[in-house]
Amino acid sequence: MTSSLAVKLSSVSKRYGDVTAVDYLDLEVKRGEIFGLLGPNGSGKSTTLKMILGLVKPDSGFVNVLGVNVEDDPVGVKRKMGYVPESPRIYEFLTGLEFLDFTGDVYGVAPEEKKKRIEEFVRALDLEGREGDIISSYSEGMKQKVVIISALMHKPELLLLDEPLSGLDPKSARIVKDLLRGLALQGVTTIMSTHILEIAQAMCDRIAIMYGGRLLALGTMNELRQKAKMPESGLEDIFLKLTGTGDVKPIVEALMK
Amino acid sequence: MNWKNVLRLISVNVKASRIIRGARFRRFRENKIVTCALYIGAFALGLLVGWLVGSFFAGITDSTFKQLVLDGATNLFVTLPTIALLYGLVFTQMSQFQRIGVKASIEPLYWLPITWKEHTLASIIANMLGAPLIITTFVCSSILTASLFLGLAPLAVFTVPMLSASLFLASITTEAFKVLQVRISGAVTKAAGRAAVWVRLIGSILFFIIFYIIYFSLYYSVSPLALIESVAGGQRILWFIPYLWPGIALSAFAAGLWPETAIFLSASAFFIYLLFLAAVSLNVKFGLYEAPSIKVSRGVYVPRAGLLGRLGFSPLEAAIIRKDLRAFTRRHELMYIFIFPIIFIIMPLLSAMRGGTAAPSTFSSFLFIYLTLLPGTLMAVILGSIIVGSEGGSVRFMYSTPISAKSLVKAKYSFTVLFSLFVIIVCSFVACILTAPSIRAAVIGFAEAVFLLFPLAMVSLACGIKGADFRELPPRPRMIRPVWSLINMIVCAVAGLTIIAPLIPYGVQRVFQLFIATSFLPDYYLYAALPLSGVIATAITYAASKIALNSAEELLRKAEQ
Repeated sequence: MTSSLAVKLSSVSKRYGDVTAVDYLDLEVKRGEIFGLLGPNGSGKSTTLKMILGLVKPDSGFVNVLGVNVEDDPVGVKRKMGYVPESPRIYEFLTGLEFLDFTGDVYGVAPEEKKKRIEEFVRALDLEGREGDIISSYSEGMKQKVVIISALMHKPELLLLDEPLSGLDPKSARIVKDLLRGLALQGVTTIMSTHILEIAQAMCDRIAIMYGGRLLALGTMNELRQKAKMPESGLEDIFLKLTGTGDVKPIVEALMK
Repeated sequence: MNWKNVLRLISVNVKASRIIRGARFRRFRENKIVTCALYIGAFALGLLVGWLVGSFFAGITDSTFKQLVLDGATNLFVTLPTIALLYGLVFTQMSQFQRIGVKASIEPLYWLPITWKEHTLASIIANMLGAPLIITTFVCSSILTASLFLGLAPLAVFTVPMLSASLFLASITTEAFKVLQVRISGAVTKAAGRAAVWVRLIGSILFFIIFYIIYFSLYYSVSPLALIESVAGGQRILWFIPYLWPGIALSAFAAGLWPETAIFLSASAFFIYLLFLAAVSLNVKFGLYEAPSIKVSRGVYVPRAGLLGRLGFSPLEAAIIRKDLRAFTRRHELMYIFIFPIIFIIMPLLSAMRGGTAAPSTFSSFLFIYLTLLPGTLMAVILGSIIVGSEGGSVRFMYSTPISAKSLVKAKYSFTVLFSLFVIIVCSFVACILTAPSIRAAVIGFAEAVFLLFPLAMVSLACGIKGADFRELPPRPRMIRPVWSLINMIVCAVAGLTIIAPLIPYGVQRVFQLFIATSFLPDYYLYAALPLSGVIATAITYAASKIALNSAEELLRKAEQ
């Protein structure tokens, strides 16, 4: 693997019983890139992210992350990554501060650095005043903010974000978006899975569209437009055309009867 | 009141109870025959018992004894409503305790077109279903059948509605109490602020201590006959307590006091209605109550190395240990762990207060060994087996962070050992105060408790990792699969016996010495047996640690597969 690649998936597949979640997927993500993974529900996006993280072991193929085979050194690879899951399950009996302190220690952040980072993030994401409350009393958006901070606090080289902006208020969403852009300039790679196509279109350098566990299309917005032969269209139209889910009119009409 | 709504809601509540008990099912509506089987069985059993009692009565030839049985039966009948009230309260309260924490499962009812009266009535009736109604069915069918032989049919027929009324009364009280309980505990939590965590912890522990003291006191000291006699005599004296009115009405009926019967019957009906309205209004006022958040700190963050760091734990391991300690002081379902050692201290003390028949020295030796060895080692066995499973759904976080198997095992094991060691020290201290053992006995007891602690904690941790169950189904997280819990208990029992085996001959000699002056072991035996026990404990700890580590590696490797 060359040093310019952050992630390389080679013929990776994963099956759950009769269901094929990921079907011989080949994918390369460059360092410092913001990479979008799109696809309808059940297309294999989350499974792909989990395989990159080492949470799910592929049935076949190899996952190489930051020059290391994930299976060879899962703990070492995780130390260089930050992960925001689709539905965060965090320790609800801890306060926001205690949870961030915990994750800081888990990722080996030095105490002074940890304190500085926590204070900065808590202030930036408007958690001030609530950071000492038990997490179980937080709204979903606040929990999401805590998880995002925990993923960013140790300055990871690779960020894996599964629907990162869901539940965030507009200000926090903007801060996270700008932060990811800034981190990309510093060489941090971000792979995000999202259903919000506007976000993918606005943020991602390259986008992969998955369907049925396979890679349907991959490229920049212009490359995707060319592939779909829709030169003036936005990502939503391209996505619906490529995934074959575009003709929703008869469905809506049937529902309105 | 829409009665169809009430019936539908009862079905929902019954379903919720079944989920809470962990029952597996597929359909919303259960097979009616299966659902009713228990009630039908209780009714049939009641018929049989009633017939047996009646036949026994019919066979009595001695008129004095016959009259005695008749008086006893009349006493029993008039006592039944109050007894039904007591068991109704116990069962319905237990059912409510089980439902704490699964409030969300009934929340959809709040935004559906259902009145509070319908909701409250359905909840009250659903509370009565199951054990309370099964017992009532059995009792009613028994007394009705027996009364045919006893010549007490009118009294028995009148007992049935009074008994049912008392059960209903118990269920209404539980419903009202449930709403108040949530409101009051929430208010205390809110007012307590940072101290709320400790208020909850100490409150939970105190509640269980009181519960167990009452339970053991009743269990050890009250006989059913004494209870019947005291209730039968007491309820007429305590006529001003509305809960006893159904029983007093029945008592008056048995004595042929018709005006008094009518008054207490009407008063009972009126009280039930009033209490129902109170339960409805409490639901209206506090039914949609949301628990307040607990503020633990004011947001000033100061990173600390802490004692654990100084003890040689890495920041990661110390973080896991601190997190687990917080979990055990804040998670309701884990707080109960604290209660085990307290129960173990209370049980023998109550037994001792009751006045045992054993010789004082025998009892004293037993109590010392019991208190020094059992609570701490049992704590290690239980804690070790659930400490990994207690991660619940949050285990995904563990999977996604750079936690190695070695760190996980070390942190979890250290927490289990430190926590259980604290229990051993406290219980040994209590045992020394209560039984005043010799220094040699105290040292042996403490050393053996420590020898048991380390291997059993590791064996349990290995089983707990292997059989970890991260599902968080109501009413509480599973933590360990039942089969692994059983395996853990068996393996720990075998390991524990193996560790103490060298000391068993010495114990046998001590027992013999209580009766005859004999000594079949050399003087140095104990000094050889104790280190041998330690060596066995070390070997078991080492072997179990290898298994635990392999299991942890497998757990983290498999992650979500």
